[in-house]
Amino acid sequence: MSQNESDGGLFEQSWSRISLYAFLLGMVVFYLIPIETGLATSLKTQEAFTGRYPYLPPLQGATFEWWSDAFFSLLDGLINSLILVIPATVLSGLFGSMAAYGLTTISWRGQVGIYSLFVAGIFIPYQAVLVPLTVFWYNIVPIQDWWLESVANGISVFGLFEIPSTFMFLGWELGFQPYHWQLISLIITHTAYGIPICALLFRAHYKKLPDEMVEAARLDGASIRRIYRRIILPLSVPMFAVVFIYQFTQIWNDLLFALILVQNNEAAVVTQQLVDLGTSQSGTNFPLRMAGAFIAALPTLLVYVVFGDKFAKGVAA
Amino acid sequence: MAELTLDSVTKIFTDDDGSDIIAVDDVNVDIPDGEFLVLVGPSGCGKSTTLRMIAGLETITDGEIRLGGERINEQPPAERNIAMVFQSYALYPHMTVKQNMSFGLEESTDMPDEKISEVVTESAAMMGIEELLDRKPSELSGGQQQRVALGRAIVRDPEVFLMDEPLSNLDAKLRSTMRTELQRLQEDLGVTTVYVTHDQTEAMTMSDRIAILNDGVLQQVGTPLDCYHEPNNEFVAGFIGEPSMNFFEMSVEGDRLVGEQFTYPISAATQDAIEGHENVTLGIRPGAISVDVGSMPADDHDFATVVDVVEPMGDEENVYLAFGDERGDEIETFVATVGGMQRLDSGQTAVAHIPESAIHLFDVTDGQALKNRDLEDLDEKDPHL
Repeated sequence: MSQNESDGGLFEQSWSRISLYAFLLGMVVFYLIPIETGLATSLKTQEAFTGRYPYLPPLQGATFEWWSDAFFSLLDGLINSLILVIPATVLSGLFGSMAAYGLTTISWRGQVGIYSLFVAGIFIPYQAVLVPLTVFWYNIVPIQDWWLESVANGISVFGLFEIPSTFMFLGWELGFQPYHWQLISLIITHTAYGIPICALLFRAHYKKLPDEMVEAARLDGASIRRIYRRIILPLSVPMFAVVFIYQFTQIWNDLLFALILVQNNEAAVVTQQLVDLGTSQSGTNFPLRMAGAFIAALPTLLVYVVFGDKFAKGVAA
Repeated sequence: MAELTLDSVTKIFTDDDGSDIIAVDDVNVDIPDGEFLVLVGPSGCGKSTTLRMIAGLETITDGEIRLGGERINEQPPAERNIAMVFQSYALYPHMTVKQNMSFGLEESTDMPDEKISEVVTESAAMMGIEELLDRKPSELSGGQQQRVALGRAIVRDPEVFLMDEPLSNLDAKLRSTMRTELQRLQEDLGVTTVYVTHDQTEAMTMSDRIAILNDGVLQQVGTPLDCYHEPNNEFVAGFIGEPSMNFFEMSVEGDRLVGEQFTYPISAATQDAIEGHENVTLGIRPGAISVDVGSMPADDHDFATVVDVVEPMGDEENVYLAFGDERGDEIETFVATVGGMQRLDSGQTAVAHIPESAIHLFDVTDGQALKNRDLEDLDEKDPHL
């Protein structure tokens, strides 16, 4: 009797298990099929692509041609994107952390008002500032003139040392190009736009740091700057991983600011180049576009892999 | 090393709605060089605020704090040459013990690295934590973290130590060990120390002098025994001593004090002390009451009682007694402490002797002490002291 009952229970249980797994499998297929379709498409010749379902694997007419084509077409854009993204990510993270420290750990009159301005900054839509931004960088700030002069003469950093306009780096000859000024304006724009959200993230982290620890450091004779440098900054590492991943992805994937600020083809970032990739009068080359999209997305994946374990700590912290 | 003076120190916090909260009200204390002063009081009495004002972590609304005769109100914490031990220890979690202890010297002095390392190792040896120097705080037990926090303060060789309930996160056994150790350490170093606690046992056992605060107002400053035997007022009498002093509201009727539960005859000297008062509060320490089983009330300071609850502590017992012959939830009890060998049981009748020399009398309205116990005949009358 009891044997029968337990059999029935087992039977019922296995049915619910089966339907659970079936559902999960369905979800996996649902999420992965776009990626699979993209990969399969990027590996097909155009003949193999046309007239067949795009998600079928490239059994006949497989080729890596599009990947190498796309890589070399996008190379300049990838380099420009890196020139833009790395400084903008680091700067917005660093400034955001400093701002959060000043607004959270140190107490002074009126900081709540300033902080609410930061929060408001998060909600300004990109579209609302497009025109002012163009006018700002093209008509108001003489960044172009300054840069062209720098390209000719090198940059003097506060008269301390000179950065020549061409220099050797790991055996490559690198140099400032006249069109780089558009990337610089983009770096500053993205940094400014990133500071509020970074400050918000860091503030949440700093609020959890015990006040007594900062007070102990003050009694130990550390100045506000030294407390940041020696106590707060080292304790912010997990949060920096979160912010770096977030900002890197955000800035790397941005197209709108780049479209309006970069009006010179040489300075185009990868998202801009991707728009034009594989389109011509004769039609759209979907396999090439697919391969390009994967190449353009790869750096953000790499960043996640590199900072991933710290990211998990930062999110859990 | 120097003496520390709090001169009419007041702290007023202004609330968001504009109302003022007086956290510390006109506190005056002189702390001579090398003294161990314990600031004690219930939570929210302003003792931590006082400490934080001395440290410079809180501004001073009014009054003056002087260190070695020099006004330090406007000095930032870093310049006061004061080291503080926090309740949470406040160690820097990303640094090793050695780095934690070196931090203050690196930030506040020009000492070369080798010298710092030497001083840190020396202090670590003093605290018995040399073998922990390369560990991070998260790898230490609570007691070890406590030692590191103390070590970090000692390394600085400050003029004043401030301690904000440093032992309250430790378990009872470790706490009593650390209590002794801290006391010895302070005596060896001879550094003026202000120690904040809500635990009157810590206050009694460790301090040279106790300062008792209530609602931001200083109630009494004195040696532990002064505060115990000659409290300024009812608050001090009730706060110091464990178990607390028993209080009874009495009305004065000639040579007798009449209360709800009993009538207490008083001598002419006592009558003089409370002259002009219609009502007084009578206080008696549990240890000053002697309890006898199996006898009848012999003189007029003996009272027939019944044992309600007995709390055996081994070497002594706290006995809750009710006047008369009934006990129950509604009937008020008072505590007497008797020797542990005197086995009492609930429900037993007993005679409580309340010697007149041991009673305290307080003003009913403002709680001021009118008469404290006589100290001359302590030895004969009180077997527990």
